[in-house]
Amino acid sequence: MKRTHSVCLAVLLAGAVSGGAAAQSFEADVAPLVETSCLTCHGPRTATPLDISTLGHDLSDRATFRAWERIHDRVANGEMPPAGVRRPDAAVVETALGSLKRALVDANLAARNGPRTPLRRLTRLEYAYTIQDLLGVDEAVGLDLSQTLPAEADSGGFDTVAANQSMSPLHVRSYLEAADRALDAAIRTGPRPEPVHHKIEYVKSQYLPAIENARALGLGIVKKLDDAFAAFFDFGSTYTFHSATEGYLTAAPGRYRVTVDAYPYQAETPVTVMVYRGKMAGVAASLDELIGTFDLTGPRTVELTPYMRPGDLIGLSVADLDGPPEGAPLLQPGDPSQGYGGMKDYPGEGIAFRSLSFDGPLLAGDAWPPASTRELLAGVEFDEWGEIVLTKAPYEHVVDVVASFAPRAFRRPLAAGELEAYASLAEPLLAEGRPFLEAVRVPLRAILSAPAFLYQIGDAGALDDFALASRLSYFLWRSMPDERLFDAARAGRLSDPAVLAGHVDRMLDDARAERFVEDFVGQAFRLYELRATTPDAGLYPEWDDRLGQALARETELFLGELVAENRGVDHLIAADFTFVNRRLAEHYGLTGVAGQQMRRVALPEGSPRGGLMTHASVLKVTANGTTTSPVPRGNFVLANLLGQPPAPPPPGIEGLEPDTRGTTTIREQLTAHRENPVCASCHRVIDPPGFALESFDPIGGFRTNYRASGGQVDYGGFTVDLPFSDGPPVDPSGITPAGDAFAGIADYKDLMLRNDVEQVARHLASQLLVYSTGAEIEFADRDAVETVVARLGDRGYPVRSMIHEVVQSDLFRSR
Amino acid sequence: MTLTRPLDRRTFLRASGVAMALPLLESMAPPLARAAAAASPKRLVTVCSTLGLYSSSWFPKTAGAGYEASEYLSLLDDHRSRYTVFSGFSHEEQSGRQPHNSEITWLTAARRPGLDGFRNTISLDQVAANHLGYVTRFPSVVLGTLSAQSQSFTSSGAMVPAETSPAGLFGKLFLQGTPDEVAREAQRLNDGGSILDRLKSQTTALRGRVSDADGRKLDAYFDAVRAAEQELTEVQAWLDRPKPVVDAEPPTDIPNPADLIGRIGLMLRMIPLILETDSSRVVSLMIHDHGVVPQVQGVSGDQHSLSHHGQDEAKIGQLKRVETEIVQAFRGLLDDLAGRGAADGSLLDHTSVLFGSNLGNANAHTPVDLPILVAGGDFAHGKHVAHEGEHNAPLCNLYVTLLQKMGVEADSFGQSTGTLTWS
Repeated sequence: MKRTHSVCLAVLLAGAVSGGAAAQSFEADVAPLVETSCLTCHGPRTATPLDISTLGHDLSDRATFRAWERIHDRVANGEMPPAGVRRPDAAVVETALGSLKRALVDANLAARNGPRTPLRRLTRLEYAYTIQDLLGVDEAVGLDLSQTLPAEADSGGFDTVAANQSMSPLHVRSYLEAADRALDAAIRTGPRPEPVHHKIEYVKSQYLPAIENARALGLGIVKKLDDAFAAFFDFGSTYTFHSATEGYLTAAPGRYRVTVDAYPYQAETPVTVMVYRGKMAGVAASLDELIGTFDLTGPRTVELTPYMRPGDLIGLSVADLDGPPEGAPLLQPGDPSQGYGGMKDYPGEGIAFRSLSFDGPLLAGDAWPPASTRELLAGVEFDEWGEIVLTKAPYEHVVDVVASFAPRAFRRPLAAGELEAYASLAEPLLAEGRPFLEAVRVPLRAILSAPAFLYQIGDAGALDDFALASRLSYFLWRSMPDERLFDAARAGRLSDPAVLAGHVDRMLDDARAERFVEDFVGQAFRLYELRATTPDAGLYPEWDDRLGQALARETELFLGELVAENRGVDHLIAADFTFVNRRLAEHYGLTGVAGQQMRRVALPEGSPRGGLMTHASVLKVTANGTTTSPVPRGNFVLANLLGQPPAPPPPGIEGLEPDTRGTTTIREQLTAHRENPVCASCHRVIDPPGFALESFDPIGGFRTNYRASGGQVDYGGFTVDLPFSDGPPVDPSGITPAGDAFAGIADYKDLMLRNDVEQVARHLASQLLVYSTGAEIEFADRDAVETVVARLGDRGYPVRSMIHEVVQSDLFRSR
Repeated sequence: MTLTRPLDRRTFLRASGVAMALPLLESMAPPLARAAAAASPKRLVTVCSTLGLYSSSWFPKTAGAGYEASEYLSLLDDHRSRYTVFSGFSHEEQSGRQPHNSEITWLTAARRPGLDGFRNTISLDQVAANHLGYVTRFPSVVLGTLSAQSQSFTSSGAMVPAETSPAGLFGKLFLQGTPDEVAREAQRLNDGGSILDRLKSQTTALRGRVSDADGRKLDAYFDAVRAAEQELTEVQAWLDRPKPVVDAEPPTDIPNPADLIGRIGLMLRMIPLILETDSSRVVSLMIHDHGVVPQVQGVSGDQHSLSHHGQDEAKIGQLKRVETEIVQAFRGLLDDLAGRGAADGSLLDHTSVLFGSNLGNANAHTPVDLPILVAGGDFAHGKHVAHEGEHNAPLCNLYVTLLQKMGVEADSFGQSTGTLTWS
């Protein structure tokens, strides 16, 4: 005992002495540089806010640390001393920087005093996928449950970062509740549910004939054919053709095979069917989620397998229907209350719906009770009615169930006493004579609320194989390890770099890697904010759900391609390909794309597209739905692409007042703003990338002029947006802080390709490390980032290789 | 997309049967609540319209007792002696990562929302709720008109999810459940209690094996488990006491998000029920961006894009139509509270009602010069209290005063520099 004490003391003393020595040597080593090159401007009674002579050298003080960190960076980047001042001797600079860097690293590690990543909790998304993979339930069940947990705080960083995560009694109660409901979904006993087959044949509809014949407002918009009913307008879709008006709402939750049979009617060009999942909302259906989009050029039967909750309906809508050909009599409702008067002679394009059918709930496999139940209740048997059959004492069954479930839930072998600690929770219930299924749920609920399930726990230092398996699977799959990872961990082989790399490749090739791409793109490039604003319908009437969905998919597929094909990080700046469907291709002015499935296309010479900055998704999240500003867009390029976020505006600064009347442009307002030298110091950096992106409107369309609102007219209580008109021309030119002039986005991308590829790579590597390890990159971690970057530079920083380097790095492989 | 025939909202509300008087059967009230009711407990209600209120129509042009009511405030003229309107209030450093981030800090005043490892702090209503604890069945009720997002945050910065279903809320408050259901719920809580007890011992076992930094995280988890366990015990105790009986039909939810005003009205009508039955003394309501064109006569844009009117007169006109309806719905709450009496004054007299927004000028996302109004709660009312000058006054000073009125012995909250007194 005494011996241990003295050892600890010795370590502490050694630490103190070495820290002191580092501080002393850094003070002595930077002094020559400071005295010769800094104090003239940063000394006593100088005009700058920084006075190095009074700064102090105690790096355990947070403010002092930050000041010296900034001095280190400015000198290392060659920004200080400023241009035009006599250059200090190179050896003096080298000595000062080397010593300062060592001192900063030491101070950083001392302040951390423990593992780099403190206990990291599962995020809501990780909880969802873990429940799905652990209990074998539908993805939708896991995602629905995760929505009942407290939302992750908007910390400005990844939600995986432990320091940003909170824990509260509310969390604990939510976990208990969610576990209960997860077990409800996983444990299915009793008779096999009867599958439902329901076919809606529209020609036999009881409801549509009344719509066809009605003359009231907005009605009379469908037309009966021999074998179908035809639709001509999308606005009817909340009250026609959806399954509820035809007598079908989902009863039992589950996946259903949904089949739509339709053909184009009077259509020369491709027409589009949109399939929605929704619910009744008052007298109409709310079409909540677009689950499929299909082009028709002839009769077509389409099939989907959505997850349907009780009360869900399927709605059908139409798009890309051209109006009557030129010269045909226009059917315009002069008086809206007279309606369209029926579509009998309407010559425009339509879609004829024959049928909509439902089969389900679909069961995975033939077994009943389902595999999820059998695997969870290991050792329990079932009779022909699907009821449990115990073959030994109930408590022994509970022990079996916990022994098979807990190691998977905790992602490691159980520690001594854990099995008993959880299983014994069922004892009092069994003693009270409560049913086995009630009793066994108590330990299972406890396991699903336990710290070993909710947190990534591991020893300090190098990760053991099980902790490494968890970190890897949560990185690339957002979920628990699969059996092959567990096998490798059990065999103690995962730490072998070649074995580890093999698993990285296997996991990236698995469909579950899409979870990583979607979540990473959602957070790192802010795609989760894509639905935060609805574009102004008067100014951007072409916006619709189809476009919104295609925007997100473009960026996800693009990043997925960089990973799958190991393409260079420069593609984030500019690329000669992207992913579109017909709808997005039209938005981008690309021709020759048929059908609504997303696919890779080569971009024509001179296209402004290609690269992340000109994805409509990014252009939309950096606008407010109505107007654009170079400031948030410039900020996106600096913060999310280059990792050099500008300082926020000083307190008391008024935001710019958007103006869509077509009189002043945002650029004119910014010019005035930049005449203030305080504003100019930051805006000379923020504005240029934003100016280059001025060629894109709030929904990412290319523009040469701003749109000016046409206003509205009121038809007896019905307000109609008047068409927008061309406003002032867009000026996408500018000058970078380095003095390079650019005429627009093409020039700006060229400048970035020339100057910024390494910095984009550095930021992406750093983001991947933060996201996967759950801790921010601090001063002491920078060398690890530089190692990743340096190993990829000669190959143009390919993205898949970068993921490999991240996984093999010391930061990833230790706490 | 939606072309539903606009239902007459008032018809709908009448049909849903919420607007009715609710005599509280004193004998049914739990003993604690009854004892407190004798002294007319203090209550706190907060209502935030998160997309702002058009400044030119909200703020009076003159200050003091003789101020001339603005366009919106003239809608509240019946209550002029029962409220005070403030100008020049704000929290500092509210420009967050996203321009609407100030909505998560309206009741907390935490700085720089969404930036640099932001962690929210406890909200005004939750301070009051923690102070009162389970003296009522629910320490607080958190409401939202569209989603679970709320403005109420626990001391560790976790968001308390909002109730969005008036029908569901009514069930929790007033529907007793069959003896079977109550017994099952009691069993579930009991099982939960033994699970939490076991998790504490498992956490203690882990605690010995981890580093200091991990230990602190585990301690936070342990504390959360212990607090959750205490809460379950309190909830269990309330399970044995009958719920108050109200002479009212349960409300029917309005599923259509386009019926913005209908949904706001339905939620606002729940508040007097909650307070009068002493089910809770602290209620917060967040009026969300519904993201669709609201069913308001003469309005064709959704509220968010109208709030970015870009000085377009037509849009400002539409925005004012929507906001007029919101202010009128709020007047409904004041009417209702003022009309319910206790021996020592109306319900409004014992309820501090905070109404306003986290945005001053929504067109530019400016989180300063916020529209703020306090009604009821036994303050000297009837004035426009204007804070002049370049720097806004801390809204938190008002919050401290509201907390003190609730009996919280607090002399600071968030960014406060003192208390706010006016007369």
